[in-house]
Amino acid sequence: MKLDLDQLRELIRLLDESNLTEIEVEQDDDRIRVRRDPAPVAVVSQAVAPTAVVGSTHASGAPAPEDDDGNYLTSPFVGTFYRAPSPESDSFVEVGDSITPGQVLCIVEAMKLMNEIESEVAGTIVEILVENGKPVEYGDRLFRIETT
Amino acid sequence: MFEKVLIANRGEIALRVIRTCRELGLRTVAVHSEVDADALHTRLADEAICIGPADPTRSYLHIPAIIAAAEITGADAVHPGYGFLSENPEFAETCAQCGLEFIGPLPEQMRRWGDKVSARALAKSLGLPTIEGTELVEDVEDAVKKAEALGFPVLLKASGGGGGRGMHILQSKEELRAIFETARAESRAAFGNDALYFETFVERPRHIEFQILGDKHGNIQVLGERECSIQRRHQKILEEAPSVALSDEARSDMSATIRRAMGEAGYISAGTLEFLLDDRGELTFLEMNPRIQVEHPVTELVMGVDLVAEQIRIADGQELALPERALSPRGHAIECRINAEDPDTFAPSPGTITELHMAGGTGVRVDSGVYGGGRVPPNYDPLVAKLIVHAPTRAQAIAKMRRALSETLIGGIRTNIPLHQRILAHPAFEEGRFSTRFLDELQA
Repeated sequence: MKLDLDQLRELIRLLDESNLTEIEVEQDDDRIRVRRDPAPVAVVSQAVAPTAVVGSTHASGAPAPEDDDGNYLTSPFVGTFYRAPSPESDSFVEVGDSITPGQVLCIVEAMKLMNEIESEVAGTIVEILVENGKPVEYGDRLFRIETT
Repeated sequence: MFEKVLIANRGEIALRVIRTCRELGLRTVAVHSEVDADALHTRLADEAICIGPADPTRSYLHIPAIIAAAEITGADAVHPGYGFLSENPEFAETCAQCGLEFIGPLPEQMRRWGDKVSARALAKSLGLPTIEGTELVEDVEDAVKKAEALGFPVLLKASGGGGGRGMHILQSKEELRAIFETARAESRAAFGNDALYFETFVERPRHIEFQILGDKHGNIQVLGERECSIQRRHQKILEEAPSVALSDEARSDMSATIRRAMGEAGYISAGTLEFLLDDRGELTFLEMNPRIQVEHPVTELVMGVDLVAEQIRIADGQELALPERALSPRGHAIECRINAEDPDTFAPSPGTITELHMAGGTGVRVDSGVYGGGRVPPNYDPLVAKLIVHAPTRAQAIAKMRRALSETLIGGIRTNIPLHQRILAHPAFEEGRFSTRFLDELQA
């Protein structure tokens, strides 16, 4: 396809000046789509402030592609994994528990900020893959979930 | 001394820092995005932490992820490399607040030197010869007034710009009126800031920069200059040290001026002062880069120093070991930046490197972040390797570089090696007669 750079520049400018995340133009057989990644979720900018000694934010797990042996909730942050809101409290979930979308499954702490990680799906916890208090990287699998 | 250094970068510079840390007996932590899970810096560091997806705003530029990676690995210092967060004062401040030693200048020094207009005023007040320029302009009428006072031709520059982006050469006030609003919109779109100002336009300048080191005890060392005039669209692609255009006297005069000025400024860590050299041999200060530079190896070779090791010692609070007399360059060094790009169209050429053989032999250094079978992801800058040579004379260094390029084999992606060979074989380059316009004229 013939790419017109001026057109492309114009589209990028339009996108930049708008609140849109994506523009697609179709003309005859040609199609141009420009998109930007959605703005970072609120938790990201909050976490920048290290002065917040203990805060609490909500986030969903990073997109967990389904593979052969089921669905995983993966860590959306690098940080420390906690199964309970405090050392004295009960764990958010145990193996065998039924969960609903939006339910908090764990905390990943980064820079003294407690990020509550919510499930995106309904289902049952099949396996808890990280020990309480252990460090996790971005994308690490935290829970295996059988979706319903 | 701290014990574990987190390197907040990727590619060849991350590896460069890992090498020095290992020689100094420091443990290293690499951070990487998902697409860099198999990158060389990830594989060669003592530990590696995945901090986010490929998008750099969510990984290499994402301060909380990098700090969290330092926390879970117990790192006690951070080296930012160049680019990414290296000149971000908030990052340096956050490191300090989290008990991490930031290996670089103080946040307020980054702020002071980071703004081009205030940096120029500061340099002038410190007694450095400075390019003529204006304050920020208010509107088109104010711009015309300021440009006329400075005298056409002028260079219209974006305050938030860098790497040569956001610049326009203007010959007359009619040209200025025609382009002003577009330039302002461009600047806003590209840098999130539409502040513009003017500088005197120098017709055929050379780009010369001086390397400095400052410690926490007020000592400044000037490590000579680098010649960086071979640029494409204001991006340096081949650098050398020393410059053929600078006499020993001019070098030592400017070194003394810089040493006095930066001592007064109390600068800490490695930094680079960029100058234009006009055809009358006058050096004028352009800007200051408060970080390690891509082209630092040519200085290391002719001065016999490890600049990253010096940065680490300075961060640790050690005093610079100042020689009795000013250092002078030994021999000649050239660096070629090997980019993953089409040598004719300059279109990026990411992909999997199917085979790799880097040059060797006496006087050849390779700083690279890639390996055979590895990938050059499309998400980051196209620099795959730096080939650096050192020889007693400039002519010998050119011959050595041509030999080294000829034995460098990189399969699976296209690189700009043929362009480097064309530059090195050009009579004007061999004779040392060139300006920052050299590449434009070579391709015209």
